[in-house]
Order: sequence, then structure tokens, then C-alpha cells
Amino acid sequence: MVDAARHPKVDVRTYTEVERVEGFVGNFKVQLRQKSRYVRADRCNGCGECALVCPIEVPNYFDMNLSPRKAIDVAMSQSVPLLYNIDRDACIECYKCVDACGKLEAIDFGIEDELVWEDIGSIIVATGYNHFDPSVIPEYGYGRFPNVVTAMEIERLANSAGPTAGNLIRPSDGVAPKSLAIINCVGSRDKRFNPGCSNFCCMYGIKNAILLKQAHPEMEISIYYMDIRTPSKGYEEFYDRARQMGVRFIQGRPSLITEDPETRNLYISSEDLALGSVIEQEYDVVMLNQAAVPQPDVDAVSSVLNISQSPGGWFMEYHPKLRPMDCPTDGIFLAGACQGVKDIPASVAQGSAAAARAGRVLHSDEWEIEPVVAVVWEDRCISADGKKCGLCSKACPYGAIEYEQGKAAKVVTAKCHGCGGCVAECPHNAITQMHFTDAQILAQIRALLADRPEEKILAFRCNWCSYPGADLAGTSHFDYSSNERGMRVMCVARLDADFIYEAFRLGAGAVLCSGCHPQDCHYITGQPVGAKRVNRLMKQFDKMEMTPSRFRIEWISAAEGDKYARVINEMQEALDAIPKEELLDEIERLRPEMEKRARRMKEAPQVEEALEFADRLTAAMLESKAEVAE
Amino acid sequence: MSHTEAAETFADRVRAIPGGEHLEMCYSCGTCVSKCMIQQKIEPEYNPRRLLRLVMMGLEEEAFQSPTTWLCSECDLCYPACPQEIHISGVISAIRQLAIEVGYESPLDTVSVDEAKCSGCGICVMVCPYEAPHLIEKEIDGQMDRVSEVDPNICRGCGTCVAACPLGAIAREGVSNAEIYKQIKIKKQNGVPRLVVFVCDWCLRADDDVTLLESYPENVRVIHIPCSGRIDPEMALRALRSGIDGVLVCGCAPGECHFKRGTQVSSCKIDLLNRVFDQMNMNDGRVRFAQIGTQDRGRIRGEVDGMLEHLVAWKEAR
Repeated sequence: MVDAARHPKVDVRTYTEVERVEGFVGNFKVQLRQKSRYVRADRCNGCGECALVCPIEVPNYFDMNLSPRKAIDVAMSQSVPLLYNIDRDACIECYKCVDACGKLEAIDFGIEDELVWEDIGSIIVATGYNHFDPSVIPEYGYGRFPNVVTAMEIERLANSAGPTAGNLIRPSDGVAPKSLAIINCVGSRDKRFNPGCSNFCCMYGIKNAILLKQAHPEMEISIYYMDIRTPSKGYEEFYDRARQMGVRFIQGRPSLITEDPETRNLYISSEDLALGSVIEQEYDVVMLNQAAVPQPDVDAVSSVLNISQSPGGWFMEYHPKLRPMDCPTDGIFLAGACQGVKDIPASVAQGSAAAARAGRVLHSDEWEIEPVVAVVWEDRCISADGKKCGLCSKACPYGAIEYEQGKAAKVVTAKCHGCGGCVAECPHNAITQMHFTDAQILAQIRALLADRPEEKILAFRCNWCSYPGADLAGTSHFDYSSNERGMRVMCVARLDADFIYEAFRLGAGAVLCSGCHPQDCHYITGQPVGAKRVNRLMKQFDKMEMTPSRFRIEWISAAEGDKYARVINEMQEALDAIPKEELLDEIERLRPEMEKRARRMKEAPQVEEALEFADRLTAAMLESKAEVAE
Repeated sequence: MSHTEAAETFADRVRAIPGGEHLEMCYSCGTCVSKCMIQQKIEPEYNPRRLLRLVMMGLEEEAFQSPTTWLCSECDLCYPACPQEIHISGVISAIRQLAIEVGYESPLDTVSVDEAKCSGCGICVMVCPYEAPHLIEKEIDGQMDRVSEVDPNICRGCGTCVAACPLGAIAREGVSNAEIYKQIKIKKQNGVPRLVVFVCDWCLRADDDVTLLESYPENVRVIHIPCSGRIDPEMALRALRSGIDGVLVCGCAPGECHFKRGTQVSSCKIDLLNRVFDQMNMNDGRVRFAQIGTQDRGRIRGEVDGMLEHLVAWKEAR
């Protein structure tokens, strides 16, 4: 950290918050709030005279509130930069520190927060994790029984720079404990709080046990666990070492801790799975190995950076296996536990990878994106006529569309990922998606349904899940009906209701809309946007008294080839079950209705027009690129 | 590719019964086993985790014969503690239901109704936490009569109905009124207060607490009952009438009662009794009810000592 602070190209800003982020990859504008320390960084030499005279003591959060600190102090002794800071919530403004500082005049109560804008090329988010508060688990008695402590409290109590100078004592009476129990999975792997595994706690508990056993060989240490997870290199050996040192491992999750009111000793009752019977053991101190949870302000951070969260509150990566350090938003990268709980080696690896990725942005003059971006047909956008709309901007999961009443909506091409959600959402056909224009998609639908449409099953598949799912069905040689006609869209969000009306108008036997499972959408929120639209259609078709089996919505992942084949076969069976005459009658009956509903299509640009527009657009893009180059 | 239906397993049949769902989520952490006191108190073979395992492995006969299937009292202490949120007592009930369907019978000591005494008032139906009793029309001594009948496969033998029956028509072996009344006797000693402690089998978790309670001298008589719901105010009155100075009833904390709501029923009864004493101007705190929670290790000492102190003071004041 000291090296980083000294590096001429590294600018460390501590006690600073990101207020706003604008722009896009390589061209971010970031507003920073440098919070006031009430101490001038350029004058303070870190002598500490001010803290000596300060009469106010507050709990020291770095020591897990086990020791006091002054209202003017450094966060911890290894702070970089070593700057003092006044806790104004506690300060009584006696100004003794100002007197103690004397001629240096480093303390100034008049300093205010400073807001600055910076040009930033790429952003790495490394906000880490927080500790689960075990006081919400009543059966462990944390907060009521003084000798039930958390892992971090033990960490400080056993640390030579901690409040007890490394002498481990128990909080109730200050006596060195003779026995210690470590309980794993406190708040993790527990559906009541956090269903996930906290990844590092097994190793962390073993580490604490080994350290304490080394310092106090006579201490009896037991670890209560459900499963010991030591999957990385050298971890199992570490676990073996703890066993060799005499640490007792008890498989069984404690269900209750009780306290002897006189001795303040604790009794843990648990089942010993190896014995198959309930055991109750007495300990001096119990350490709760608490779960890792997201930082309390993740929502604020994700809204400032416009990045999404996975279930549970961790920041969402671009792809869990292939791009774990990238955010879906280009130019923003993730490092460490903020993306998901991980231990030190994994955090270091991800941090280095994120740094390399960020460097790639900083060193390139051009940024390549997929060509399937959305573009606005400016003369069709009603916002340009001063009307209120903004539907496109709301549908965009990336914040790539700038909307302002009175101006045509504007797509920031560098931010657009090409889901097509805005295109389907626009009620005036004012946005189109390159390579997936309405005209192109309609032409495909018409071609696929040109011959005996009533026998066909038209399947819309999203590019990322259902299309590969269908591919897998093929490569796995699963039999499915040859009447299926597959069509690719980038995302179900691109599915305009008109496409489905048109398919039925043309007399399609059945239509399938398939996409990713809700939590797996490649475009963050594309699936829900599309799902809402097609579910609405389902209701309309019910009202029209269409045979329900003719329209189906299914979420099929890339790994579910069997599901794809099954769904198509089921649809074929259902279609076969309708007598041919009845089916043809129904198609004829519904045709005028479908035509009426797809009225917007009549205004849709034709292929020639779209091609002409695309040419114009390409020319404009090349022009603007030339301008930038100049 | 064929999509044939898999044969229905034993686990599927358990899951199909409402309450029996999610049993496949169990990862055998043992929380339910140690939260429950049946293994420690009465049956070492009792183990819900293993029962769920038997079901998952399809060992149907073993599951039906397991004491766990029959001993669970559905107190649901384990349910809020289960990290996988499995409603364990629901699963056990489902297994029990299947066992009963194929002819297994509950091995528990249950209550029996003396039909000659029963008036068919239905109070037992109201107080039972398990809906075991119900009223039936039956011919008794040549006459049609309405009497209570208890389903022995549902009854868990808590005795709440025994205490509630105004005619003494229901009895459970070992804890009938006569057997309890016989125990309410303490030899008279000069100046030493005499105290009867009714203690339910479940509220004292720690063995140390049980030992402690048993170690009190002769003037403290400990009477074990299956549930504090078994308490009949008449027992307290009999004790006081025989010259005993005080009565302490110990039951589980609300929400932790081993028999669902015995502790609520008995706390109402003792409250009511004390209100009657109030009206008679003789409420001097000699009948008390203590609700001891699962985490109240060592509290029994304070309760008994406090009661004894109170009785000494009361005697002196008289």
C-alpha cells in the first residue's frame, strides 16, 4: 500500500466517495466527493499530539469496538496516507487539538467536502464484503452471552497490535480461556439468512485454530462444522496440520448455546454426526465464524455505476465462467469479494485480471463492439416533436439511451449491447437494430411460413440461451418435430408483439417464444422486459379464444437441449390433436383480428427503406470517426 | 430420446402429502437432532435426520418402524432452526400417515376414556393440541349416548385432556389423578416451608438442572408430569389444603412447549386460580407458574430458592 501511494502514476484518494458517473468506456466522467477530515493533508505530519489531548473517546471500530479511540485519530496505525481525521459526530469542539497542533495549523474546522470531476478511462470496483451480524440468530446468544464472540473479535483479541496486546482473554472476566469452540457457517448455508457458502470461513476457522494452538498449546480447540471445504492447492494439507496439532473437529451444526449464569461458561449442544447422538460440551469462549455478506451500500454503488447485482447482492459479472472480472457495462471491472465471496488468492487473481482488462481500455484508441447496436430514426421519434415518451430509455438495461423531451432519443453506441429491447418497445418504429431490423425479421417470418403455415411451429429463440439450447438438441441427436422453424433474435426483449401477430396472421400453426431463464439473461433485464410483453400477449390470445396450446412461452438454457426437444414435441402433439378443419377455421377467424392488432406494422419501414437507412447510417458513423481522428 | 416417467419412490409419496415437501433438501447437519430433547430424554434411537435419510434411500419399513416416526410431538422447535427450512415435523407426520395407512400403530402410551363417566361435553376436544379426541354417538348400556373417543394413533399422551376433563373420565397410565394425588405429601418439619414443584418432562434441558432439582431436601417434593398442561388447579388446592405451603409449576416457555400449547393452557389455569384467590383475599403468591426457556440454564435454582424465601417470609408474617 505504501508503495502504491508513493508511485508517481498512482493517486490514492482515501475518505472519498464516488458521487456520479457519466459517459462510457474510455470516456467516463466521475464526480468524487473528498469528504472533509478537518485536517489539512499538506500540513499534518502525523505526530499524534492532537489525539493525546483530545478528551473524547469513542469505540474503535477497527478493534471491533473492543477498545477506545479518540475523536481525532487515524483509522488504524497502518493507514496510508497517515492522516488524522475528526469524528464530528463525537467531537465537542473544545479545540484542544487546535492548540496542540500549534504552529503547524493543520487542523481547520472550516474545511468543507470537496466535489471534483475527473476524466476516467476505466473503473475497477473492489468494495469488498461485510460481516454478517450473528445477533439475529437467537439460539447462539451473541450479544447476550459475553463469551460468545465473532471471528473478527477473536482476530483483534489475538492480535499483538490489538486492544489486549495479543493476550487472548474472555470478555466476561478477562481470564485466559482454556477451551474454545469455533462454529462454522454462522449465517451462511442457512436459508434463513444467506443460502450461499461463504467460501473462505472453513480455512479461516482452521487458520485461527492453528494460530491459537501455536500460541496456547494447552488450549482445547474444537471446530463445529457441517462440511469442511478445502478445495484449493495446499488447503487440505493445512486442514491435516490442524488435526495433527490436536484441534478437535466435530461434524454437527450446533442448535443451541446456553450459558451457566455463575461461571459464564458456555454449553454447546449439537449432534455429533459420527456418533449419531447429541452431545453437550462446555467451553470458555465460543467463536462464531460469521458469514460474508455484501456491503450495506451496494444498492447505492450499483445505482451510481449503473451496474447490476446477482441474487444476494453481489455485483453481477459479465459471464460467471468466462468473464468473471468484467461488468456487463463496458469499462467497469470487478475485483474481489464485491463480485462474490472469495479468499485472498482468488481476490488477488481477479484483481490482477481486472487491472489487465482496465489497462487494455486505457491503451486502445478504438473500442470494438458487436455491430448489432440500436439506432434512432430521428425523424420518426415523437420526442423530437416535443411529445413525452422515453419508453426506449426505460427499457434499456445499460442506460445507453439519452432521452430528453424535445430532442430525438440518442443511443450512445459505445454503451449499447444490442438486445433490441428499445426497438420492440418504441411505439413509433423510431428505433431499429442493425442486422435485426423489423423488415429483416418480418421477411424471415414470411419466408418460414410461406408454405403450408398451419403445419409449422415457429420458434423464436434468443441468441444466448435458447438458440444454443436448440443447437445442443441437434448435436445431441435428440429427435424433435421437423415442422419446427427456428428464428434467432438477440434477446426475447426484441420480440415485438407485431412479429407474433404477423406469424398468426400468416396462419402459423403454433408459435414458441423462448429465452434465457430469468436470472440468466445475457442483457441483465432483457428477459423480464420480453417476458412481460409475451405474457400480455398470452392473455390477449386467451380472450380471442385461440387454442391455448398454439402459443407457448418457455425459458430454455443453453444446456437444456432435451428440454427444447421436449417442448417442440409437446407442441407438435398438441397441434396434431387439433382437427385440421378446426385449425384452419380458427386461423381464418383470427386473421382479421391479428391484422387489426398489427396495425403498427403497416407503418414499419420496408426492407429497401431500411437498407437505405443503414447505408446512410454507416456513412454518418464513418464521418464521425474521421472527425474524431482529426 | 424417450421421456419415460420415473417410478414413484417412497420419497415421492412422502412429498406428495402436504407438509412432506422439501425433505430432499436435508444435508444432515444434525441441528434438528440436538434441538429436540427426545433423544436425550427418552429414546437414544430418536433421530429426525436419519429418518429423512431412510426416506430418501427408500427404506420404507425401517422408516415406519423408526421410533422417530412415532415420538415426534410436532413442537416445531427444530423448524425455525433448520438451515434448509425443512418443516421436519410435517415430513414426519407424512411418514406417520403412510405408516398408519399400511396398518402400523402408534406405540405410545395414550389416554383412555371411561365411557361410563364421559358426558360428551367436548372439553377434551377443545383442549387437545393434536385433535385426537372427537365425539361419537355410541350405544352404551342399551342407550344411545354421546361420548368422546381418542384416536390412539394421533394422541401423544401429554395429558392436557386428563387435566381438563371435569368428570375425571380420561386417564393416562402413570399420570392419572390418583397417582399424582398420592405424591402430594410432605412430612411436616418445624418452621421449614414445604413446597411442591410440578415439573414438566421437557422444560429442564440441562441434566445439571434436573440433578439440582432432585438434590433439594425433603421439604421440596418434585412431581414429574409429561406436560405442564397436565396440571389441574385442584392439585394445587389439594396441596394447600393438606398443609403444604406453596406450589410451583414449571413448564416450557411460550412457543417452546413440547406439546404445542400445554404451557399456555396451564398458565391460563394458574392465572385463573390466582384470580380466584384474589377475590377471596388470599392471594399471597403461594402458587406460581414458571415458564423456563431453552436458554434458561440454571434458572430453576433461582425459581425454587425464590419460592422458598417467599414462603419463609410469608410464614413469618403470619
